[in-house]
Amino acid sequence: MTAIENEGREAAQSRGWEPELQELKQRRQFAAKMGGEEGIARQHAQGKLTVRERIDQLADPGSFAEFMGLMGSAEYVDGKLERITPKAAVTGFCQLNGRKAILNGGDFTVRGGSGGGSHGGLGMELPASQRALEWRVPYVRLLDAAGGSVRSFEELGRTYLPDGNSFTAPDVQLLRAVPVVSAVLGSVAGLPAVNACLSHFNVMVKGTSQLFPGGPPVVKAALGYDVTKEELGGYEMHTAQSGVIDNLAESEAEALGMIRSFLSYLPSNVWEMAPRLGCGDEPARREERLLSIIPRNRRRAYNARHIVEDVVDRESFFEIAPGYGRARITGLARLHGYPVGVMANNPLFGAATDVAAGEKVMRLIQLCDTFHIPLISFADEPGFMVGVESERAGIERAGARLVMVTCDSQMPWATVVVNQLYGVAGQCHHRPSGMFQRYAWPSANWGSMHIEGGVAAAYRREIETSADPAAKLAEIEGRLKAIASPFRTAEATGQDVIDPRDTRRLLCAFVEDAQPILRSQLGQTAVPYRP
Amino acid sequence: MRSAMQGRIIEVLVAAGESVGAGDELMVIESMKMELPVQAPIAGAVRQVFVSVGDQVLDGTVLMVLE
Repeated sequence: MTAIENEGREAAQSRGWEPELQELKQRRQFAAKMGGEEGIARQHAQGKLTVRERIDQLADPGSFAEFMGLMGSAEYVDGKLERITPKAAVTGFCQLNGRKAILNGGDFTVRGGSGGGSHGGLGMELPASQRALEWRVPYVRLLDAAGGSVRSFEELGRTYLPDGNSFTAPDVQLLRAVPVVSAVLGSVAGLPAVNACLSHFNVMVKGTSQLFPGGPPVVKAALGYDVTKEELGGYEMHTAQSGVIDNLAESEAEALGMIRSFLSYLPSNVWEMAPRLGCGDEPARREERLLSIIPRNRRRAYNARHIVEDVVDRESFFEIAPGYGRARITGLARLHGYPVGVMANNPLFGAATDVAAGEKVMRLIQLCDTFHIPLISFADEPGFMVGVESERAGIERAGARLVMVTCDSQMPWATVVVNQLYGVAGQCHHRPSGMFQRYAWPSANWGSMHIEGGVAAAYRREIETSADPAAKLAEIEGRLKAIASPFRTAEATGQDVIDPRDTRRLLCAFVEDAQPILRSQLGQTAVPYRP
Repeated sequence: MRSAMQGRIIEVLVAAGESVGAGDELMVIESMKMELPVQAPIAGAVRQVFVSVGDQVLDGTVLMVLE
């Protein structure tokens, strides 16, 4: 051993593991480069941010703590590391509004975000979804991936069985445990497309995002026609017609903002209470507009959103799926700082509950039940939608599901009957168990059937055999309308009829009273959330 | 401005050239036995009205131009 060699060994000893830290730094740099400058430029050229830019914008500043960042396919030259192409996703912890969450962002710059990597194998680190389940924190998917690719068959030298349920099982369990949000931020196909809906809330970006199990080439091969990505699975299809995507954002920044907003109403998991915000809005606030918002002319429509805005804490209403099932307004809001679910029939779109509106309502009921927040319903319900289109869409089976979801729910529920309440759709504003409160405005009117139409059916013989059938019909309708006052019902049932301007104060009190009940209901619901 | 629903125009309250404020009622459409008011989304001037009382409209029919 020469003196120099001895010296080298000692110097190395004092350096400790510094060289390996240098290698770690180098490998992290490769990961930060994602799919390389060309891929990044292409991403930007398409009007899209890279996954790391999205994470930067979404997470509380400086809060992103990446895990599994060293995964990727490496190239070695003469035993020396030349380059690593990272895995096609970036995953890690972050803070959102000061609360821990886990992000899983697809990296489109790497192989179009598609599969690759090894699934399973001994010693794999816990995948992001499993981690969210075990840590019990919200899970956010930033979807920008094409799903599987046949390239992987060539890479493997064989095909493989698509046993995706093995690694999708945690995504199913997550829905019963923590808030899950999916953002569709590019052209998303395959399993990622279904992942868009394995969530409590999802959003897509106008123009730069599409969703389909198979895109235009697959459609052409299977069905023989040409269609563009936007026509097939763009925002017009999914936020308005199919309802597959809840909210539409004009930009990626807006989409990321919606994620933060949505999560702010919910707890980190089902074992905790939803966070209450400090609130400067007094429960005693009365809005004069509520006294006359329901027109005395019964045929006149009004803007139900104004009722919601006047009652809940100012600026606190976050609408879910405004473009779909427009006969019902659904969303989240706060009453005296406490998060609540809110729904209101929308007369500007017919108010009657069709299959689409029913879907929104069922998801809102389940959301409130799962995460233990009260539900407020402003009811103006003419009944289920009639007509051939409604029949074709299966309104009866949808109605049966709505009845089940309503009756199975357990969270505190308050209904304010502001106008109509009729039929089986009307009964779905009544929860026959648990903490349920109903208020009626003086404008309220209700029944199993409407008087108009109902009289012609029930009194047919009297009308037909009378000298003047039209007059007879009007006379009978008049008799029934004379006894239709909500006060008459209240004599028998004790229904509370209130000054509309007191609605906010009464609902704030209800929500305050609901807190201990909610606390006693913490944990997983008996009925699992169904997307 | 487009109609949000299928229905029939039963009232037209403005004409070309008039100024309106945000929220003003411009016309009324009857649909599914309900009268649906059409309100100005912005303050502005009515450039042109394309429908009159009695016209049938569909979801998306252009009713008028407001600028």
